[in-house]
Amino acid sequence: MFDFIGNLGLGFATALSPTNLVLCFIGCLVGTLIGVLPGIGPIATIAMLLPLTFKVDPTGALIMLAGIYYGAQYGGSTTAILVNIPGEATSVVTTLDGHAMARKGQAGIALGIAAIGSFFAGTVATLIIAAIGAPMAKLALLFGPAEYFGLMVLGLGLAIVLARGSVLKAVIMVVFGLLLATVGQDLETGQERLTLGFDALADGIDFAVLAMGVFGIAEILRNLENPEARNVVRGHIGRLLPSLADLRRSFGPIVRATGIGSVLGILPGNGAVLAPFASYTLEKKLAKDPSRFGKGAIEGVAGPEAANNAGAQTAFIPLLTLGIPPNAVMAMMVGAMTIHGVIPGPLVMTKAPSLFWGMIASMWIGNLMLLIINLPLIGLWVRLLKVPYRLLFIMILLFCCIGIYSINNNPSDVYFTAFFGLVGYVLIKLGLEPAPMLLGFVLGRLMEEKLRQALALSEGSFMTFVERPVSAVLLVLALAVMVIAVLPAVRKGREEAFQE
Amino acid sequence: MIAVALFAFWQAADLPIGTLGGMGPGMLPKSLAVLFGLLGALLVVDAVLEAGPPLEGWSIRGPVLVTVAIVAFGLAVRPLGLVVAGPLAIVIAALASDEVRWVETIVVGLLMTVLCIGLFKFALGLPIPLAPWLLGY
Repeated sequence: MFDFIGNLGLGFATALSPTNLVLCFIGCLVGTLIGVLPGIGPIATIAMLLPLTFKVDPTGALIMLAGIYYGAQYGGSTTAILVNIPGEATSVVTTLDGHAMARKGQAGIALGIAAIGSFFAGTVATLIIAAIGAPMAKLALLFGPAEYFGLMVLGLGLAIVLARGSVLKAVIMVVFGLLLATVGQDLETGQERLTLGFDALADGIDFAVLAMGVFGIAEILRNLENPEARNVVRGHIGRLLPSLADLRRSFGPIVRATGIGSVLGILPGNGAVLAPFASYTLEKKLAKDPSRFGKGAIEGVAGPEAANNAGAQTAFIPLLTLGIPPNAVMAMMVGAMTIHGVIPGPLVMTKAPSLFWGMIASMWIGNLMLLIINLPLIGLWVRLLKVPYRLLFIMILLFCCIGIYSINNNPSDVYFTAFFGLVGYVLIKLGLEPAPMLLGFVLGRLMEEKLRQALALSEGSFMTFVERPVSAVLLVLALAVMVIAVLPAVRKGREEAFQE
Repeated sequence: MIAVALFAFWQAADLPIGTLGGMGPGMLPKSLAVLFGLLGALLVVDAVLEAGPPLEGWSIRGPVLVTVAIVAFGLAVRPLGLVVAGPLAIVIAALASDEVRWVETIVVGLLMTVLCIGLFKFALGLPIPLAPWLLGY
């Protein structure tokens, strides 16, 4: 307990320094600015804005990145409510009641309650991270390569189960990601693999390049195809602050959703994506009059938004303590942190405590800033959303190009981004979800490393994974998850769950 | 039927990846490639057995022009600098949209380039060449 307060104190002391406050503010602001743009989710936003952090020291850069991340999340909700276009999978639910509220002239209240719910969830999630971060990191130090390998297999298993569409397609995407991860120099011998003779591929495929192509460019291509059908809410936004009655009605959903989101967010394999759906379904079941849902029920905005934010935040736990990103956005954060020379994992906390706790404290500050800066700026976002897409996409494209070029100052990165944009477009067309691929790609290198280490220690015997109790349990869990997903009964339930 | 044909094509495109794996260190890529191939085959079988929803139409213009625009940016940024690469990419990309308006596009292109130069070059100090042929940097 003493540690807990001391650590948080250190964190706030770091995060509240004037420079870091300014960085956090800028991060939140530009994160929201880009996140508001239709079709740009957090992953593409972070990839695009990464160059902004280059001139800053690692602590400041991470604080800024965290700000960009929350800003992007919140911007996505704004677009979901005002334009009915979800920026990413997790804000799909918000479009249901959020946009319905907006059409009833209550856009302001919907945005307000989303911000308040997110802030509450963010506060709780920050405390959770601070509380269990340290014990988790200690636990992580006991993990050997075999346990790490088992954990990552479990993560990928869950990612497959949680992906939308057919299980087979999700498996294919994960394997495709793993395969892409093997491109580049071999870890031990330095021999080049699958580079097709391109020098640029010797270091492997850059994560930002892949993510930007598959999530940024491919999304532009898809949007270009659909003729413009944005119906930005016209007229007035209405007042922003929810009434007391609204607040009272939203309180229960927000608290419950925060619990759901926090737990699901920690799960490896993109549990966070499930949180808003779970919260929405729960509130609909609990409601006295479920028919109001879908027609602008405030609970249907408050709950999912809180769940989304809680999950988005606790997803940092596996990343910061185990060094394993649980979803594609966190994978992007790994890339961003590595550029700044910080390798996420159990050692960050002990080696750079001010960085670690400063980042956690800044999460809370970032949430507070979002609440403060966004409410007055909503008018600006609305105007931004009215810019026609034919102008927006060329701007987005130019930012993408400059962003990718700046990461390594290398034109070939730009070409590869274009290439992966096409790949992503084909994947979308074939109904294959790119998110599991990205997770497979990120975990691929780490998995290969741990697999080889484990096998070297056991002198080539695969029994090591079964003999060590922790890794055995993790692998059995992974297997169980997969089997359950394929069982016909569960499969049906899963399809229904995603229908909602 | 179209779906099956597309899947088959996609499947065939996978195969060369499988044979490219190196030796020794190529163990993992090779086994993954085999797994990938098998899964692809499974998907084809699945597609044959079960009629899925029809595929949406494919467009050519958008993807091609956007790709050309990005590649043009990459080609131009080193030798010609951002001053040229920016508007170039924007004008080519604008062609990808069905509703091109020239004046508007060029104005936006120039404005954006100026903005990006200000932001990335001067505010952030990133080493992006501006106009090497004119300014020397």
